[in-house]
Amino acid sequence: MAISTATKAATDALAANPAPVSVGAQEVHRWMQSFTWDFDKNRTKYSTKYKMANDTKEQFKLIAKEYARMESVKDERQFGSLQDVLTRVDAANRVHPKWNESMKVISNFLEVGEYNAIAATGMLWDSATAPEQKNGYLGQVLDEIRHTNQCAYINYYFAKQGQDAAGHNDARRTRAIGPLWKGMKRVFSDGFISGDAVECSINLQLVGEACFTNPLIVAVTEWASANGDEMTPTVFLSIETDELRHMANGYQTVVSIANDEAASKYLNTDLNNAFWTQQKYFTPVLGMMFEYGSHFKVEPWVKTWNRWVYEDWGGIWIGRLGKYGVESPRSLRDAKKDAYWAHHDLFLIAYALWPTGFFRLSLPTQEEADWYEANYPGWYDMYGKVYDEWRARGCEDPSSGFLPIQWFIENNHPIYIDRVSQVPFCPSYCKGESTLRVLEYNGKKHSFSDQWGERMWLSEPERYECQNIFEQYEGRELSEVIAEGFGLRSDGKTLISQPHTKKDGKLWTLDDIKRINCVFSDPLKAL
Amino acid sequence: MSKSSNAYNAGIMQKTGKAFADEYFAEDNQVVHESHEVVLVLKKSDELNTVVEEILQGSHKADNPTLVVEDRAGFWWLKATGKIEIDCVEVSELLGKHYSVYDLLVDVSSTIGRAYTLGETFTITSELMGLDVKLKDLAAA
Repeated sequence: MAISTATKAATDALAANPAPVSVGAQEVHRWMQSFTWDFDKNRTKYSTKYKMANDTKEQFKLIAKEYARMESVKDERQFGSLQDVLTRVDAANRVHPKWNESMKVISNFLEVGEYNAIAATGMLWDSATAPEQKNGYLGQVLDEIRHTNQCAYINYYFAKQGQDAAGHNDARRTRAIGPLWKGMKRVFSDGFISGDAVECSINLQLVGEACFTNPLIVAVTEWASANGDEMTPTVFLSIETDELRHMANGYQTVVSIANDEAASKYLNTDLNNAFWTQQKYFTPVLGMMFEYGSHFKVEPWVKTWNRWVYEDWGGIWIGRLGKYGVESPRSLRDAKKDAYWAHHDLFLIAYALWPTGFFRLSLPTQEEADWYEANYPGWYDMYGKVYDEWRARGCEDPSSGFLPIQWFIENNHPIYIDRVSQVPFCPSYCKGESTLRVLEYNGKKHSFSDQWGERMWLSEPERYECQNIFEQYEGRELSEVIAEGFGLRSDGKTLISQPHTKKDGKLWTLDDIKRINCVFSDPLKAL
Repeated sequence: MSKSSNAYNAGIMQKTGKAFADEYFAEDNQVVHESHEVVLVLKKSDELNTVVEEILQGSHKADNPTLVVEDRAGFWWLKATGKIEIDCVEVSELLGKHYSVYDLLVDVSSTIGRAYTLGETFTITSELMGLDVKLKDLAAA
């Protein structure tokens, strides 16, 4: 049968220029460049003092189809591992009890960070004017939703499959009384979503993600594996597979402002503030969780910090940007001192305030004390001897009538809360970079532990008005506050937190706390 | 244990106790020092184990003598001077299945340096992409 002229012409044309059988993702990405994306006159609710250029790139050339396929494979692998083999081998009950407690803190806190990062990257999507940069931020919004679910799921998994569910399942209810919560919200919430949009990106992406996710989400998996936990590497290393795009987003934010005059005026201050904000919390808290919340040690925390924060983030990210005017953070010296000592200072206070937490803590064993002294010469004289005294006074035993906070009171070592970071500190008994500074504003006293936070507060004091637990509960008896702040297990009388992780050890109840008659007082009122 | 300066426990990290503290707190180490190294964290998986063992430490080992690969329980830790490249066409041939650069990204856990894709190649480099060097799109066929 003869074919029409039109059909013949079409057939001949296809023979000369065959239609592609498939189109590669990056060909689609290139094709999309030809669209007239015009965000140059973008109006945003989230302003910045910097002018972001509108020609910056998304480094991985992701299109929605490949993104969705990639993330779906990640989830299939992760949930498949958890629900199949890890459940079959009873993995959650093979975790060392001390590490089980650390994961209550790490995963619950990371969940809050991921949740706030959803808003942060949505804000950055709105602020940016480069189409590809917007694409990168949009992908990150979706990533952060995935991560929020992953963190919640790991707590759900530990609670359902593992040991001592209290704290995995209901941690957030204790957020009013737990002294670590407010500092966590300062770094993971306020730092990511309040103020100048580019400054938020520096906090979240250039410092939070490019620097601190490496110890928080990568190095933590070494500690987890060493302590019998195979769930955390399965989930956290999957989370981190998205972080490399987030780090690239942060880097491209810097690229977008590199030639802006404002960068020469403000970037180093913003970077220093972001670095200090993030390190002030992550450095002591992660160090405490890794070293004091594990039985098997991988390496001293200061070495982990030196590798991931100082040598690699400092040298490979910040050092390389030196020729564009980016300087070494001015607070680095103090941060390094904190990386050596501040987690020891924090554990001393955390153990003293244990009834207000949502996880169990343990005093270092003799073997651990030897490890600390070998790696941190001078540790025993400062900390070890205090733990020996607390142990001798029966701090683990509910019938002892002794809470370690009494030791601080008896020895006239008041504990303050830094107004900016919300991290507790004891200026008369610490080796980290903390000294007491007190300022008055609007008839109220504010304590600070360092010059960097004090400087941030002086430039915008109205930003840091969060009440701390000493102000909030002044004059209240401890057991009343614990009951009110949901610090109890499901029997309504046993505390979630305990000063030991012994399976056969006695658990403290509300009555044990009440007998001690410990009353909150605000140390600033005594000044 | 690797003796390379790129090893996980190279330099100061080999020291302990007071010796470590002395170098850590030394005046010269109170500011960051520019580094031309790159770090890659690869989540262990069927495919990534092949990439590491058969390609980076196998057929391409001689291409990059600065590359150090260390087994850190759940992940492979890689550090090199300059850059690390992975060609997913080659990985695909070795695995005997289609394996795109986005399949590779399923298990690339962290990067320190500037990472990007171009076609089926994944690169992490110490170069300042977008500042010193332009990021390219796939060339038209």
